[in-house]
Amino acid sequence: MLTIAIVLGIFVVKLVDIQVVQADEINADALDKRSIPNLTFGVRGNIVDSDGVTLADSVLRYDVTASPRDVRDFTRYSTTASGVAVETDVTWPEAAAEIAAETGQTAGEVQRIIADKLAADPDSNHAYLARGIDTEAYRALVQLGIPGIYFEAVQSRTYPNGQVAGNLVGFVGSDGAPQAGLEYTENDCLQATNGSETYEKGADGVRIPGSTVTEKQAEDGNELVLTIDRDLQWFTQQAVAEQAQAVGAPWGVATVQEVKTGKLLAVADYPSVDPNDVNLTEEQYRGSRVFNSPYEPGSTFKSVTAAALVDAGLANAGTHVLAPYRFTKDGASLRDSFGHPDLPLTLAGVLAESSNTGISILGERMPTADRFDLITDLGVGQRTEVGFAGEEPGIVPDHTSMDVQTKYATMFGQGLATTAAQVSSIYQTLGNDGVRMPVQLVEGCRTADGEWISQPTGEPRQVISARAADETVHMMETVVTDGHFGDTLVIPGYRVAAKSGTAQVSDGSGAYGSNYLVSMAGVAPAEDPEYVVTISLANPTTMKSSAAAAPVFQKIMSQVLKTYRVPPSSVPSPNLPTTY
Amino acid sequence: MSGNVAHAVPRTGWIGSRTDAVREQARRHIEIVSTRDQRKARPRTVYALLIVGALFAVLMSQLLLSIGLSDGAYAIQGLQQQQRELSRTQQVLTEDLERLSSPQNLAANAQALGMVSNAAPVYLRLSDRAVLGAPVAATADAGAAPLVGNVLLSGVAVAAAGSAAEQSATDDTAASTPPVTGADGIPVTGMGSGAAATDADGVPESGLPTPITR
Repeated sequence: MLTIAIVLGIFVVKLVDIQVVQADEINADALDKRSIPNLTFGVRGNIVDSDGVTLADSVLRYDVTASPRDVRDFTRYSTTASGVAVETDVTWPEAAAEIAAETGQTAGEVQRIIADKLAADPDSNHAYLARGIDTEAYRALVQLGIPGIYFEAVQSRTYPNGQVAGNLVGFVGSDGAPQAGLEYTENDCLQATNGSETYEKGADGVRIPGSTVTEKQAEDGNELVLTIDRDLQWFTQQAVAEQAQAVGAPWGVATVQEVKTGKLLAVADYPSVDPNDVNLTEEQYRGSRVFNSPYEPGSTFKSVTAAALVDAGLANAGTHVLAPYRFTKDGASLRDSFGHPDLPLTLAGVLAESSNTGISILGERMPTADRFDLITDLGVGQRTEVGFAGEEPGIVPDHTSMDVQTKYATMFGQGLATTAAQVSSIYQTLGNDGVRMPVQLVEGCRTADGEWISQPTGEPRQVISARAADETVHMMETVVTDGHFGDTLVIPGYRVAAKSGTAQVSDGSGAYGSNYLVSMAGVAPAEDPEYVVTISLANPTTMKSSAAAAPVFQKIMSQVLKTYRVPPSSVPSPNLPTTY
Repeated sequence: MSGNVAHAVPRTGWIGSRTDAVREQARRHIEIVSTRDQRKARPRTVYALLIVGALFAVLMSQLLLSIGLSDGAYAIQGLQQQQRELSRTQQVLTEDLERLSSPQNLAANAQALGMVSNAAPVYLRLSDRAVLGAPVAATADAGAAPLVGNVLLSGVAVAAAGSAAEQSATDDTAASTPPVTGADGIPVTGMGSGAAATDADGVPESGLPTPITR
């Protein structure tokens, strides 16, 4: 009886001790053991083209980590095909070779990582063996069942189309932080928000039902839709690359823009970065020179002067000018690119022959201030609405303080600098009855439900009169039909209006060197322009004139007309006279 | 002991002096009779059993429920594991698909099949079988070297190369069909034919035209 009482008493004391005295401590310990705080990941949004084709995709990659102190020889239990259990002894060097075969390292490298860690700290329990391996390698490594090897899933980006639009899409760093292009500038749209939750698990690691407490919901990023057409982008990049290599140009750019909307359909850079492996490309070519590299546009800018004259009523397509080879006035001296006797040209002929003297003589009719107002209205000197990462505004000299030489030079596109995007926008304005549309590269940011969160805004602006714009387009048709380019600009069945440019490139010390930037910009079909194509090749070595740009312009424009099913021209060209 | 004081005055006719019969009668008359309500309210064994049974049932169902719940936890765990595996597979396949459908790969395969691109924009309008544009034959030099790289395609063989050889070896029908070299007898419209060129989207007015085999 007494014994029972004593035993019971001990139990009671112990019970009180556990349930009351130590209760809080033990509860906390227990909760720690089974409660798991968990970070939940949102997925970064995709970047897609105008048709929804994926240009940048979020994927899971795996970091292979090891606990060096737990790495050792082990016995692998497996079953043969006939069902016989087999035990194989695997030494660490053998295991390292197996790992290396999947991660693309050498067995020595894997062993060295572990050895180095152990040398620094014999109790080391963390080392990265390989980072960012793909799912197949991950699965193979899991199958190997090597002790001391663990995996961490990491968010990563893949760009299935490689260099296609790589210049635009940009890339993220190995830490997932956006570094360039649209990944960088549109990060607000794309980025995901990580969430957090806590749950309790049983001894075998199974989540206890009803124990999950979500502190914060993870949110996926949104989808960024571009105005770019992936296939046209590829074609344009390929065409630019072919021609740049053919004429020995270190870099070249091309754009395709929709006249009626201002949407960019292709923005090609050569060389272009492959966002999957940024290190393959020199740093200076990892962005988009279409936005980031202003250059003196040269004669493609004569269309602006011509349009300004017509708009102001100071000239029309038929205005006569006797264009000399050399023109000097007030200390300014300029000449045409080819020697010739005085040419009786119309304004259209000035464009067709690309006469510097002709455009200077006619351009003088307009007050410089008015001409510069128009140049500014056309968007030169300001970043486009795209706001691309590292975009340059170009350079417009102060017309009140510039010298006489620059006054004339700006009439034919020297002495000021534009980006290719700005040149494209100028031709878009000319093609669109003088209405400048905001330059657009991004269609918008879209949720998974297809709802638009944000879309670029901007107002169309009538920069020059519709009459002046149309007349300028018709004058530019003579460049194709009567210019120096033979058949290389002609697209059978279509009326094409274009203007060439062979701009001298500054040698960096205030003078012009022997390098040229050859270009071509134009619209088609001329009776009702729908698409702008511009192409510029910098510093070509084998062919230093715009004839280098003409065939690729024709090629890209043909592809654009095919891609968008533009029917052949049905209205005959006015065939404006170029001489008198 | 102190009886002398207490019983100094003897009482007469006290109750104890009654006869036994009278006493018996009196006792019967004052017996407490439970009312009908009281009788009804009296606890019954069946109710007790019912309550205990219900309690037991509740406990049992709670036990079963938590067994079911834990079982579900394992099922969920298993399914989530399966889902993870499947989404890994899906990701691998999606990556493959996206990589293979990249324009670089398609162009390489098309070239391996001997296809060349034709730069001239020409359309066939189904409604009146009009050819819009000026057809020109494609030239073989259109197939330039691929200059737009894609590191994801390194190690991906051109799938079309092998099957093209197979195709030409086995497919007699394809080999015996003469290549289409021209469009004789079909009106070619180009510049200047305004009415014909307005509807080049190729929407047939009365379904697809029947192909005529010559």
